[in-house]
Amino acid sequence: MRSSSSHRPFRRLGAVLATAGLVVTACGGSDDSEPAAEPAAESASEPASEPAEEPAGDDTLGETETDVTLPPDDDADSIFGGTLRYGLEADVNGLNPTSSALAASGLMMANAVYDTLAVYDENDVSTPHLAESFTPNDTLTTWTMKLREGITFHDGTPLNAEAVLVNFNAQRGDPLVGLAIMPFFPADDTAAIAVDDLTIEFNVNFPIADFGSILTGQLGMVASPTWIAAAKEDPTLNQAPVGTGPFVFDSRSEDSVTRFVRNEEWWGGDVYLDAVEFYPVTDGDDRNSLLFNGDLDALHTTNQASILDLVDNADYQTIIDDTGEESYAMMNTAIPPFDDIRARQALAHATPIEEYVELIGLGVSRRATQRFTPESINYNPDLVQVGNDPDTAVALVAEYCEERGEETNPLLGTTTCTDGKINVELQWSGPSVVQTRIAELLDEAWSVGFNVTFQELPQDAHVLQTAIGQYNVNTWRQFGAVDVWTDNVWLLCATINPAGLSLNWPRNCDEDRDALLFQATAMSDLEARAEVLKQAEALINEAFTYVFFTHTTWVNSFADNVRGVCDHTSAGGERMRCAVSGRTWFSKVWIE
Amino acid sequence: MTDTIEKRLGTLFWVAVGWLAVISLLAIFAPLLPIKDPDAYYLVKGVRPPYSPSGTHWFGTDQDARDMFARTIYGARVSLVIGFVAIAFGMLVGGTAGIIAGYLRGRTDKLISFIFIVFLSFPSLVLAILITALLDRGLVTIALTLGVLAVAPVGRLARASTLSFAEREFVTAARAIGAGDRRIIIRELLPNVVVPMGALALLGMAVAIVAEGGLAFLGLSVEKGSTWGKLILFGAGSRELEKSPWIAFGPIIILFITVLALNYAGDRIRSYFDVKEIGL
Amino acid sequence: MNYWVQRLTASVMLLLAVSMLTFGAMNLLGDPLFNILGPAAADTKPESLEKVAAAKELYHLDRPLPERYVRWLGDMVTGDFGVQFGSTGQPPVSNLIAERFPRSLTLIVMAQLLASMIAIPWALITAARANRPADRVSTINSFLLIAMPNFALAVILKYIFGIKLGWFPLTFKATDPWLTRIYQTFLPALTIALPAAAVYQRLLRTDLITTLQEDFILMARSKGVSRRRVLLRHALRPSLFSFITVFGINTGALIGGSLIVESIFRIPGLGSAIVEAILREDFPIVLAIVMIITTAFVLVNVVVDIVYTLIDPRVKR
Repeated sequence: MRSSSSHRPFRRLGAVLATAGLVVTACGGSDDSEPAAEPAAESASEPASEPAEEPAGDDTLGETETDVTLPPDDDADSIFGGTLRYGLEADVNGLNPTSSALAASGLMMANAVYDTLAVYDENDVSTPHLAESFTPNDTLTTWTMKLREGITFHDGTPLNAEAVLVNFNAQRGDPLVGLAIMPFFPADDTAAIAVDDLTIEFNVNFPIADFGSILTGQLGMVASPTWIAAAKEDPTLNQAPVGTGPFVFDSRSEDSVTRFVRNEEWWGGDVYLDAVEFYPVTDGDDRNSLLFNGDLDALHTTNQASILDLVDNADYQTIIDDTGEESYAMMNTAIPPFDDIRARQALAHATPIEEYVELIGLGVSRRATQRFTPESINYNPDLVQVGNDPDTAVALVAEYCEERGEETNPLLGTTTCTDGKINVELQWSGPSVVQTRIAELLDEAWSVGFNVTFQELPQDAHVLQTAIGQYNVNTWRQFGAVDVWTDNVWLLCATINPAGLSLNWPRNCDEDRDALLFQATAMSDLEARAEVLKQAEALINEAFTYVFFTHTTWVNSFADNVRGVCDHTSAGGERMRCAVSGRTWFSKVWIE
Repeated sequence: MTDTIEKRLGTLFWVAVGWLAVISLLAIFAPLLPIKDPDAYYLVKGVRPPYSPSGTHWFGTDQDARDMFARTIYGARVSLVIGFVAIAFGMLVGGTAGIIAGYLRGRTDKLISFIFIVFLSFPSLVLAILITALLDRGLVTIALTLGVLAVAPVGRLARASTLSFAEREFVTAARAIGAGDRRIIIRELLPNVVVPMGALALLGMAVAIVAEGGLAFLGLSVEKGSTWGKLILFGAGSRELEKSPWIAFGPIIILFITVLALNYAGDRIRSYFDVKEIGL
Repeated sequence: MNYWVQRLTASVMLLLAVSMLTFGAMNLLGDPLFNILGPAAADTKPESLEKVAAAKELYHLDRPLPERYVRWLGDMVTGDFGVQFGSTGQPPVSNLIAERFPRSLTLIVMAQLLASMIAIPWALITAARANRPADRVSTINSFLLIAMPNFALAVILKYIFGIKLGWFPLTFKATDPWLTRIYQTFLPALTIALPAAAVYQRLLRTDLITTLQEDFILMARSKGVSRRRVLLRHALRPSLFSFITVFGINTGALIGGSLIVESIFRIPGLGSAIVEAILREDFPIVLAIVMIITTAFVLVNVVVDIVYTLIDPRVKR
């Protein structure tokens, strides 16, 4: 079966995903993403204590828009002082943007200590932040970035083009992080050139209308080059980051608490909070209890049951955002059986999406048919996600097995079909109770046409197996980019590497789709761009590589006395998008 | 004769044995029984699970509307099999090694004893986790892993028993009339050693079942299929315990009674045969 | 003296054997290069090939297994546990150990204290009322406690005291003041303590009953010493031997057995560390913790032996 070499853990791939401005948690499924070993029950079961007659509908958040922001607080009331205690879903191994795996939790902490070159405004368009401006050439293939003057890192090193280049090249050199930005930049030194002390010229491989958006996440974080060099020598320094941000690193105890204190000389203005402390609490229910007890002032979560408790509670300010990632089952088209579209269609038709939405989504997460929510301008209303159709599935399986049943499934070492059913391996990341429940739910429905073998792996190993194409079908979570083009990396032909690591996880190449995506990337007219994206989305739908379940719901919840939650602004004074995939900013937060 | 045995073993003993028989039969014949499908989702439209115990679902359902009673019965299949295979392996390998060590003494004994001690000093759960994490988590691997862990304690007992019996008159007598080692082991020692080992078998099975539960709680039990440990894990979250405790407590009760029965029966057999020994 | 030399040699050999077993298992069944480097090990870019070469040299991965083992052993003996493969920057394993060891230690010490505090009075009472109804009930109870699987007991205690009664918190925060942490450790310690207490109590009770039949007890009673005084002052001490022996041996067993309890109650101690490390195949952590646990186990056994020799004048060495 599986040789020991396939059990290779894969660290820091998350950084790859995060670098493109996305949220990582590439472990799939709709519970809080956990690091390896979350043994106690991490479940998303419902909390309704009413008698059995109560219809489930009352618990849903409904199909209405989710509240992605809070009304502004009057800055005049702001008080200096206080410590914000934030509960996170996981801890991180280190906080070095050039080499650490930063998932939602890590990015949240990074938001305190680093600034990004650009940020998203309320209209989901990037606006310069640490940088002063971005100027393209006529063909949108060269972008000149000008930095602000007079900014220094926490250790006194000045922020200049040299510093940015150190960061940029370090990230490109990292085998994982570099993989995510490889498609966008030429491989040589022309990718980024320092024109003068405060100006850098970026050259990209294809026209990009909103270049700044790739610099709103991990790739845009700038750490002190002095510190980067020191951390190379002494890797323990990765735990003690040095940036330009509103808070300075104070202390850290892994798995327990990371503390940042006010940067008195922050270039962006006054910082009200004395300190921000981050507490990793992997169990969603525990995190909620700590918030309700007053042991935490804020938290983020994707755990549906926890979300229901938070939304019902008027004492807390809650931001609900499901415009980010989607949860889905994903198939590998590079090896049998899913190299055949009939097998993929069969799996899709057999998938119990309604039960998933009901039992796992708990009325909190909305059913998804594509990467966009119905409110999005890019939403294609004609697309349908098939499922709950065992009859069609059985027919397709019969057709496939008749013709190709004698081939070999290289993963399992068996024939593709046995006894008229297709043999597949379902992989997921655990240990996790919710993930196991999902696997069992899928298996039960897929069993009409498939013989499903289970393979639960620790998160790192799971991501690696997926990246090297050693899976048939798995449960996954992706596509959280605010600006759509940064998600291209998961879809392009160029990011398929037949021999090695491939970010196009399903390894599905469609040149027409690529053309549409590139076209959309170069368009600044959002309406026109939407039309192109809808066509691309249709092609994704027709490929049957994903079986979409739900839009992941990220919730950030704050105690009532925490103010200014959504008031962070870019350096240019634009109000920023409040939360991006579960992370918020703290520059304008104060505590009453 | 039967009266004497019963008086010594006690009615409670037979109750325990009865329970074990019942649970084993239920497990073996589960597919033929008129119980619900353990993998089916008995969703009632408009009502979100878990459903509390009722006439339709004796043990209620879990968060996915699967019948807990059926799942517990089917869980018994895996848990009992693992327990049985593990202890059988332990007795086969450990028992043989222990008897040989106790009979032959000398260097063989020292070597075998040393191996036993190594395994006994190794934190057993860690060893189990190590093996299952590095290999795979199939039924056979887990059962054999626990079996490997059973080898040392069983072997040690077998050796101790053999040591005490090997000096007995009937062995010296057998040797005097020219019986070979092998014959002595099989005909004289084995029948006597088997008895205390029988008691150990029941106790060991209890330990193995509990050990599997422990592995399940760390997320390391069999990948597909339910075991009691897995079922309890699914029901053990704070939220589940608060709102729907039956998910965990159904399997906990069944597991506990079974383990109790095994412990009690093993204990009674041990003391019965001890007493009998003294009587000799 | 001869005996102690023998003991020492045996213990050392034991530790060596355990270490060889673990080292071999991890290196043969796992894949060290990938554990250290992640996907860079499969990459063909020149920077990655450099990293592979560097790692191979640093960790001596090209050398045969026995040689790597000896190197590791040499490091370990001098206190160098290696680095954590899985963490960015690979901080030394000793950091992890230093941070987590006190928590596990607190748990076990508390568990044993609780167990003794429960077992001794319990044994005294039941021995005094031997074979009477209260004693019979207690025997049943202790049997039940011993039979109950530890994870099931954890769930039950969590349910009763954590949720229904709400007396104890369900989370552990390492930054809380010392006293709060003790409070948080109470329930997990109780989970470990209850079955242990049952075992101790049974032993102690049996020994107490035997002691109570001795002549010197009858003498004391006939002199008019009260029952309670007889029990506490005269009977208890001589009856403690089995209890102490098992107490000692059990400490060793507890060290390994606290794994599950730490995982269930989410205490970030050595137990949960090793579980996570095994899943991540972070070899140095696994090896270090296994060696610590086994060493502790062996040490405890030796200490028990010493104590036994000291307090029991009948045992001659």
